[in-house]
Amino acid sequence: MSKCKTWRLHCFMATGAIATGLTCMGAAHAAGEPIKLGVISEESSVAGASISKSAQMAADEINAHGGVDGRQIQIVAYDDHSSASDGVRAFQRAANQDKVVAIIGSYISEVALAMEPWSARLKMPFITPGAASNEISKRVHDDYDRYKYTFHGWMTSAFIAQSICDFSHDILVGQLKMKTTVVMSEDAAWTKPLDERFLECLPKAGLQVLDHIRFNPDTSDFTPIFNQIEAKHPDTITTGISHVGVQPTVQWHDQQVPIPMTGQSSQATTTSFWKDTNGATEGVITASAAAPGVAVTPKTVPFVDGYQKKFGVSPAYDGFTSYDLVYILADAIHRNQGSTDPDKMVDALEKTDYVGTIGRWQFYGKNDQFTHALKYGPGYIQGINLQWQNGKQVAIWPQSIANAKVKFPAFVKLQQAAAK
Amino acid sequence: MLPLQILIDGFAISSLYALGAIGFTLIFGVSGVLNLAHGGVMLVAALMGWMLAGEAGLGTYLGTLLGIVCGMLAAYITYLMVVRPIQRSAAIPREEKEIFVLTGTLLWGIMIQQGMAYLFTDNPITMRPLIDGVMNLAGVRVPFNEIMIAGVCWVVIGLLWLFVNRTRAGKALLAASMNPRGLTLLGFELSRIYLLAWTLYGVLAGIAGVLLASFLGVSTNNTGQLTASAFSIVVLGGLGSVSGSLMAAYVVGYLETVTAYLIAPTLRPLPALLLLVLVVYVRPQGFLGRR
Amino acid sequence: MTALLRSRVVWAAALLAILATTLPWWLSGYILGVLTVAYYFGVFAMSWDLLFGFAGEVNFGPTFLIGLGAYSAAMLNAHWSAPIPVCVIAGGVVALIGGLLLAVPALRLRGPYFGLVTLVAVLLLQNAIVIFAGLTGGEIGMMVPDVISVDANHNYWIALAFLIVCAILLFGLSRSAIGLILQASGQDTVGAQALGFNVTKHKLAAFCISAVFSGVAGAMLVFYQGTASVSTVVDLGVGVQIIIAAVLGGRRTILGAVLGSVFLIVAGEFLRPLGQINTFVVAAVALAVILFFPDGLLGNLLRVRERE
Repeated sequence: MSKCKTWRLHCFMATGAIATGLTCMGAAHAAGEPIKLGVISEESSVAGASISKSAQMAADEINAHGGVDGRQIQIVAYDDHSSASDGVRAFQRAANQDKVVAIIGSYISEVALAMEPWSARLKMPFITPGAASNEISKRVHDDYDRYKYTFHGWMTSAFIAQSICDFSHDILVGQLKMKTTVVMSEDAAWTKPLDERFLECLPKAGLQVLDHIRFNPDTSDFTPIFNQIEAKHPDTITTGISHVGVQPTVQWHDQQVPIPMTGQSSQATTTSFWKDTNGATEGVITASAAAPGVAVTPKTVPFVDGYQKKFGVSPAYDGFTSYDLVYILADAIHRNQGSTDPDKMVDALEKTDYVGTIGRWQFYGKNDQFTHALKYGPGYIQGINLQWQNGKQVAIWPQSIANAKVKFPAFVKLQQAAAK
Repeated sequence: MLPLQILIDGFAISSLYALGAIGFTLIFGVSGVLNLAHGGVMLVAALMGWMLAGEAGLGTYLGTLLGIVCGMLAAYITYLMVVRPIQRSAAIPREEKEIFVLTGTLLWGIMIQQGMAYLFTDNPITMRPLIDGVMNLAGVRVPFNEIMIAGVCWVVIGLLWLFVNRTRAGKALLAASMNPRGLTLLGFELSRIYLLAWTLYGVLAGIAGVLLASFLGVSTNNTGQLTASAFSIVVLGGLGSVSGSLMAAYVVGYLETVTAYLIAPTLRPLPALLLLVLVVYVRPQGFLGRR
Repeated sequence: MTALLRSRVVWAAALLAILATTLPWWLSGYILGVLTVAYYFGVFAMSWDLLFGFAGEVNFGPTFLIGLGAYSAAMLNAHWSAPIPVCVIAGGVVALIGGLLLAVPALRLRGPYFGLVTLVAVLLLQNAIVIFAGLTGGEIGMMVPDVISVDANHNYWIALAFLIVCAILLFGLSRSAIGLILQASGQDTVGAQALGFNVTKHKLAAFCISAVFSGVAGAMLVFYQGTASVSTVVDLGVGVQIIIAAVLGGRRTILGAVLGSVFLIVAGEFLRPLGQINTFVVAAVALAVILFFPDGLLGNLLRVRERE
């Protein structure tokens, strides 16, 4: 009997000791526990691959400087294969299984829009570094208490369009005396509000819109479309393309369509585009976040150089935003004294005032039209317009950072309307 | 002006469709295999051609040729490592061999697509045109490349016709598509004939792939679409009928072009699909197929 | 009937089902989520097996029926705010109609043409969805505002219950008189017709049953995930996965399809950390299975034997 009791006593003490030991270890572990950030992107697309690479670069830099109050940032990356369902599954895995504290996700509006409700349901801070649809911030505005965990880390389509209109007013109308344009965009979620704003602000900028063409993102033969545009004799084509880019550009060049292309061409913002199009992109103008060699802020060039050295290509537009967003998230956690509670994160993020690589980051508030979207305008984030010249991207707008003049290839005939 | 533009554009794209479809129907006719990795084979030719021409700095012409060779290799691997093992497998009952081959080629196609996307990203690539510049054809501005592509397609089709009808090996191919057993009785080795068929297929698909890359551009995302398009054309024309495929390719090509120019670019694939539905309901063996 | 109760297979299946019910108490929410998808997939695969294994009809486009059910339910919910049960039933009905439209001409065909028609049907659906992207969200997919539940456990049990009900129905069907007639028509059409059975009517019935189950399961899957996209319910690749799952588990066994689906989906998620390359690996493994183990996991175990 006594042997049994002694045995039980020993067991009890041993268990108690082990339990205490584990708790201590656990507590000590918690103090230095890494901060997990989920990054969901499309690894097989050039723009998507920039997201995870830039995020990792930012995390490495922060960790090299001591992390966030001693805690390391750990990036957990997922590939969503450009599919809304895969994105949602990755989101659920990141939140439920891998227990991340915030998610940076996707540059495709349809995918970001599918993940947004899950951000609300799972109370997981979620920022998109590249999607554009107005709907993202509209949902936050319309149902703030549910959707407040979502932030829009790129210009909304409305502002992208406005930026292009401002550029068109300054350069196309002001310098080149153009009068007419045709809007050509892919049929996708981000271009609906984009086109709406185009049709509204281009005439105000001085360009009459002669036609508005929306094409299937699966299109591979653009000849009929260019034909239709040429028949109207506009001075320029204002594009809204992201899902496509190589094919329309190459065909524009091969067919020697005599009308310049301006507007937004997301794929043209990456330096690998020159190679992908075999140089056909010469003379194409697109809006972007920044360009190599262009110092939008003091942080821009070091980031681009660092990225280029590490990965061999320059970052796509969403690389700039992803890089800044990791810093912003780290800063928010720091301001919360290390707390990653979702509601506290939302409060901290709303108070963001950070000078990143593309400008000064601030988010619109509850009562603004585009709640939790990036503040647009001079002094905040405005984007730039760049043109491909001789294999390089040069900035042509805004005037304060422009480093070249607009120049078109020989087959582009300016002043079409005037020539008639 | 516009009718001429439609005529020329339609002709170029139809010729390209025809080349892809003929290869597809050839393999079915001779060895009874519906190769659902067809898009994958074309993709390999296009991507390798692009990479060798640009990245490896071998120049456009050499790159194109090597691209075609890669297409041939992809076709071989498809036959030797996927199709033939299934066809020879003792564990699969004969009635089910077809579905296994189909599933196998589909899986192989997926593997090619994913593998290529991993190596090259899904960004579309274009090959530099073999001839630069445009020419003015009765008021229509046509890139030289477009005319050349149509020309090459027809030269290849012509050569194929000559091969099948005028050479011994070609006639054996034709015979194999009609009566394989009879052919073996006459002393021909079927396995060599199959190998020949797959070689031809590889060349045809390879040429189609590199030409497509230089005309419109190709991306790994297109793989399924390429297979589906060749497949629809072959069904329309009649499985196993080369002339049927040729005819159907032109019907589909022109339907698409006319729709894109005269109705709306977004509705481009619709008429061809509706035609497909009609044919499947009314005459499932296609234009020139045998029941 | 008593033979069925005494059958070891049925007892084993019942045991597995009970075990599955207890999983939420000791597995994480994420793994439960994966299994939930696998269960719906299991219903897809079982419906396919009924058609192929028993009626002998090679259906290359199971995703035609699934996609119809899924997208009609999704659109009803997103555009007309219909409640979930209505949408699910509607999904089943639309899939049934689609199945009838497909089957009536298709069953007149012989040889590879039937398979071809099913393949064409999938292509048509895919193109229709992409062309009318305004209504359907196109290639990338659409969102539905309602989901069945946010709780992983609830979703799991609902999916499991659905799977068990479908399994009982389909397995029972396969072992019933109708199932035997289907098998006969599948393996020897002329013989079956000679015995006086209306082969076409029975195959049509099989098609319709397959369609309803596929459509309803597709709709349920959409309301679980909160999204409907071409890549999860319409793509040819998904159809192939279903066929693989059924083949992996063992053709003509119905229950084997469930095992095959679970294995396939779990393996796919397990490989997710590989990132981009996981689809490649799953396809490669599936190809290897086809080449080396065509009889699948359950193989001959569950096949209805010729001599009992």
